[in-house]
Amino acid sequence: MNKSELIKTLAEKNDIHVDEAALVVNTFFDSIKDSLIKEERVEIRGFGSFKLKDYGGYTGRNPKTGEVVQVSPKKLPFFRPGKELKEYVNK
Amino acid sequence: MGKTLTKADIVDSIYEKSDRNRAEVKAQVESLLEIMKQSVKKDHALLVSGFGKFEAYDKRARKGRNPQTNQAITLPPRKVVVFRLSRKFRAELNPQ
Repeated sequence: MNKSELIKTLAEKNDIHVDEAALVVNTFFDSIKDSLIKEERVEIRGFGSFKLKDYGGYTGRNPKTGEVVQVSPKKLPFFRPGKELKEYVNK
Repeated sequence: MGKTLTKADIVDSIYEKSDRNRAEVKAQVESLLEIMKQSVKKDHALLVSGFGKFEAYDKRARKGRNPQTNQAITLPPRKVVVFRLSRKFRAELNPQ
């Protein structure tokens, strides 16, 4: 499923207009994005939590060419599935 | 890390832009989460453009042991959910 299918399904299940469903879905993901960009933690009960992790830079090598490359430090979100989601996919 | 964004905060942000009351918005968010869970389970993937992808993949059974009793046990096969970041979101988190 992709985002537009998510919006369509939400609209059908709740008997609302797709525009309203799109507002819900877009605001949901935008809120999570904004918080992570501000380096805040995100916790969605029943689904999971996100936390930004800092990765230090390092000197790496391009495995194909053997060329030395500098990998700069980066921030990446780490997702931990919640208990309910873990149990749900295994049911 | 200070603040934590919760479901209630997300409900508030939607509520501010919506004509619905808070209880209705809360129900919409719960419905959305339910659909997301079903999608991860059924399609093994949920793709949110500009955000990332939730994927469920199979882990095979493996031998483990109970660390308390040292007893060997077979852990059953199971599905695990992982999140893969979209390139766009990654760039937004790491502006250059």
